[in-house]
Order: sequence, then C-alpha cells, then structure tokens
Amino acid sequence: MSTTAISNPAGSSKLAWQVEWRFAAIRNGMRDALAYRGDFIINFLSSALVPVAIQLILWYSIFTASGKTEFAGMTYPELLAYTWTSLLFSQIRGGNYDFDLIEMIRTGNLSTYLVRPVGVVAFTFFRGFGEKLATTGLCFLLGIIAIYFTQYHIHHFIMGMMMALLGNVIAYLFSSTLSASAFYWENAFAVLMVKNMFVSLFSGELIPLSIVPEQYAWVWKSTPFYLFVYGPTQVALGKWDTQIWANNMLIGFAWLTVFWITLEASWRYSIKRYQGLGG
Amino acid sequence: MNKAAIEVVDVKRSFKSVKKEEGWKGTMKLLFNPDYIVHDALKGINFTIPQGEFTGLIGANGAGKTTLLKILSGLIPASSGSARVLGYDPFKRELAFRKSISIVMGQKAQLWWDLPAIEAFDLLRAIYQIDKDTYKKRVDELTTLLDVTKLLNTQIRRLSLGERMKMEVIGAIIHLPKVIFLDEPTIGLDVLASQKLREFLKRHNQKEGATIILTSHNMDDISELCKRILLIKEGSVLFDGDPHTLTNSDECLLKVKLGTEPSTEELSGVVGIVATAIIKDEEDPTTYLMNVTRSRVAEYFQKLLTKYSVADIGIQEPSLERVIQRIYQQ
Repeated sequence: MSTTAISNPAGSSKLAWQVEWRFAAIRNGMRDALAYRGDFIINFLSSALVPVAIQLILWYSIFTASGKTEFAGMTYPELLAYTWTSLLFSQIRGGNYDFDLIEMIRTGNLSTYLVRPVGVVAFTFFRGFGEKLATTGLCFLLGIIAIYFTQYHIHHFIMGMMMALLGNVIAYLFSSTLSASAFYWENAFAVLMVKNMFVSLFSGELIPLSIVPEQYAWVWKSTPFYLFVYGPTQVALGKWDTQIWANNMLIGFAWLTVFWITLEASWRYSIKRYQGLGG
Repeated sequence: MNKAAIEVVDVKRSFKSVKKEEGWKGTMKLLFNPDYIVHDALKGINFTIPQGEFTGLIGANGAGKTTLLKILSGLIPASSGSARVLGYDPFKRELAFRKSISIVMGQKAQLWWDLPAIEAFDLLRAIYQIDKDTYKKRVDELTTLLDVTKLLNTQIRRLSLGERMKMEVIGAIIHLPKVIFLDEPTIGLDVLASQKLREFLKRHNQKEGATIILTSHNMDDISELCKRILLIKEGSVLFDGDPHTLTNSDECLLKVKLGTEPSTEELSGVVGIVATAIIKDEEDPTTYLMNVTRSRVAEYFQKLLTKYSVADIGIQEPSLERVIQRIYQQ
C-alpha cells in the first residue's frame, strides 16, 4: 500500500481534530444556508413577519377594546418591544435538523453519516448550528440597528443572544432525543409537531410568559423552553438583571446536561433497530 | 495469500416486518393485533477476502447483497454469525474502523446537494484529518483522473448523474480507505461514464491496494474489475470463485439461421435439448440461440440438417450475464 489510510499531521492532537471537524461542519452548514441568499432572506422574513403582524394586531385590539393602558404588567409600547425582540430570538431557536434526523432514519440516509468517523447527532447539530449562525448573524445585525434608535443596551442584547444560543443547543438535544423515536415508529414527525406546539407556547414566542397567572407560572418555569425566547427577550429588554441572567444560564446548562445524557442513551439503545432502508 | 481483510462466518440476518392485510379489517388488525413476517435475508454466509482483492457481489434484487454490505460496513448487526473487517467487529463502529472504510451507494447521494463538491471535500478533509498539502494533491490527482477538475466549484445538484457519481467516488476514497464497499456505483450511467469509472477503480485498487467489494447488475463492471465473484441467491452463496471459470465451461451458444420458423418446442424435440435452452431471435425469427455442450455441437448440427435447411451457423462464447441468468433460473 502506498500510503496510510489516514494521515496524521505532526502536532495534530485528537482534541485539535475534534475541534477542527466541528468548525468545518459549522462552516459547511453556513455555506449551505447562504447558498441561496434570496431564499434565505425570504424564509427569514416570512417566518418572522407573519407571526409578528398577527401579534401586533392582537395587542392593538386588546388595548383598544379594553381601554386599559397596561396588560399583565406591560404597557403597549413594552408589548411592542417584546414582540419585535422575541421575533429575533425565535429565529435563533430550533431549526429543522431534528426533522432532518427523522427523515434520515426513515429513508436510510443516516447510513451516509454512520460510516463517517464522527458522531452522527453531533455532526448534524454542528451543520445545523452553522445554518442557524447565519440567521443569528442577521438577527444580531438587526438588533444592533434597533438598539441604535432606542434606549436599550447592547450588552443586554448580547447577553440575551448568548442565552438564545444556549437555548438553541438545548432545543436540539431535546429534539434529537425525540427523533430517536423514528427507529421505532415510521412517522415520528408527529412527535416533533407536538413538541413544537409546546415549545411555541412555553418559549414565549407567541405570548410573553408574564401573562400567565402567577399560580400557573410553575408550568413554564419547569421546562427549559422559556430559555429559548422569553428569557433572552427579558434580558435584552433589561427586565432581567445580570444575576437573574447568570442563574438562568446555570439552569440552562443543567438542562443541557440532562438532555445530553438522555440523547446519548436513547441513540445508543435505539440505533440497534436501524435497518438502513432504501437500497 | 495476503492477510484477510474480511472474514465472514455463518452470517445470518433476518428482518421482521408488519403484515398488512387488505381493507378496513386489515387496518384495524394492524392497529390492535398486528401480524409479523420474518424474512431471512441472509442464511449463513461464509467467505474470506484477502487484502487488496477486488470482489464482485452479484445476485438478483432482494438476494441479500446490500444487506451483506450493510453488515460489513457496520450499519446493521448480523442476527447471528461473525463478520470481521480489518479485524474489527463492524457493528461496534470503532473510530479506527470508520476511518478505514468507505461506502458508495449508487442510489444515495452522500455529498451535499446545494454545495459545490470542493466544499464537501473540504469538510471530509477535516473529518478524516488529512493534512492540507496531501489533500490538495489528492483532490487534484483524483479529479484529473476522472476528468472533473473543472466541475469542482459547481453545485452538486447541477451536475449530470455521471459527474455526480464521479464526485461521490472521490468523496468516498479521498481518505484512502483500506476497504471500500461499492453498491451499484455505475447505476444509470452511460457507457462512457461507466467505462471511465471502471478504469479509475481498477487503477485505484492496483495503486493503493484497497480491498474492494462491488455489487452491480452491470456484468461489464464485474468481468472487467473482479477477479472473484460471490454469487448470492436468496441469502446463500451459490458460487464463489473466478468469474472466468463460469464462462470457460464446456458450454457455448450455438447460433443458427434456418430456412423456416419452427417453434422452440419443435426445435427442442429435433435437437434433443430442453426448450428453455433455446431462444428465438426477436429481430430475426429464423435465427435461434441454443445453449449447448461444446463437444456435442457437431451432433446437434447433424440433427438440424436432417429436418431443416441451415442458412448460417456459428458458435458464441456465453457472456457472464447469460451464465448467471441461467444459474439463477435453475
């Protein structure tokens, strides 16, 4: 044989390799997301503007009909600020890579990734995260522009962004754990649809969670979903101080650990049922 | 003999699937009390492949070829028996094992549809830890050999099937795997693209000494590339050996053009061979192809002359495709 199968450059440690392929996957995902720039912008606008328009009309109607100046502790301008800011963070949370995983299991395309010397779930995440980073970059830019014209602070926005990215990782780990159901159930998409419904509700994407009566607040507080949109929005708008932010980041890391363990366990066990269908 | 790269001992694999009966009754039964069907895809396969050998895995659809490749590449476990590839248990999917193998699935795209090949190769470079200089030289060499250098910056989705498959093959061997599984790599390709890919694979096998298992329904692939074939039928190995021993047997094809158009049954009665061994030419109904024993050609010729006027006669070597077709029909 003329050469070894894998070259191992001098000084290249296993850690360096682990970092390198992850960055390469992120880069690859970003390029994929930006391959069709027009499509990217249209997707961003359509998925953001329609829900925002509905919310703005809804809040306007509520305030006009009730004649009140405050609703659930928020004034109309505060609700407007919440709606616009949550719009940016809701673009960062999630992504379609959980659906991609189910599709790959169902069609047998997972085989392509299983033979590679990288973890399939981690690989899918980093590629998807790369795609999401492109969106995050756009959101960041829009946020900065908005802050320039308002009284909000940039460091709050950056802290909110950090929480939203942590939320993105948690969302992926949770969704990927659920996607392992595709090893047992052919049409496991329904599981993700139900999950998405709960996430939309408890993440603060549709309504500010402060509207929920205090006696029921434990419901959303006992899920990690509020870290996806509601938490980052509160931080960016200056409603949560650094201490609350740090506490919730810690809670976020605890959730991340829990879902990492459940993800590893569910895939390690379920992969034995994989059949690699489709030729 | 070289050290074994692949060892398969009594490998069996079954699949269990739900049986769906027709109509509403069947739907309700499926919901509350489903019946299952167990299909034995592999029924005790045994073989050893030495390092550097180019082996063809052939058989009809559903024979078990792809199932065997999936087991060997670690995608699915065997139900029983033992498979070792480069000394590894494939299904344990150890890192060193995954770095040493590769699989090309003709019916599945492994590169990213919306990105140009060069960006996919760059990601593979990072995944397989290939240093940048080696990577550049290798991409340059492989794309030149397959004549796709100019297409490196074109999106995969914009390439023709043949060009895409060439890129898929480059992506699969860029890390110089020691074992390569090729599952119908020439499917859907035109004659020129198939030939180019075959030449490339042959050269790669000789230069790098990679062990290659190829499944294909294209017998040109098999006869040009493989020194050994494993013929699989219904999950069992029917033949294991040099494909030329199949075609160099005492059998040949006797081609005759007669003055009349007798039925194959009538001709069978006159010559004394089974009717299934006679084929009537679709384009020329007076021409017949007969699968006969070489040493008895003169005898058959004499029998033909007793009943018919013979306009032309010739002997053809049986193609691998035809021999395999016949083995399958037996």
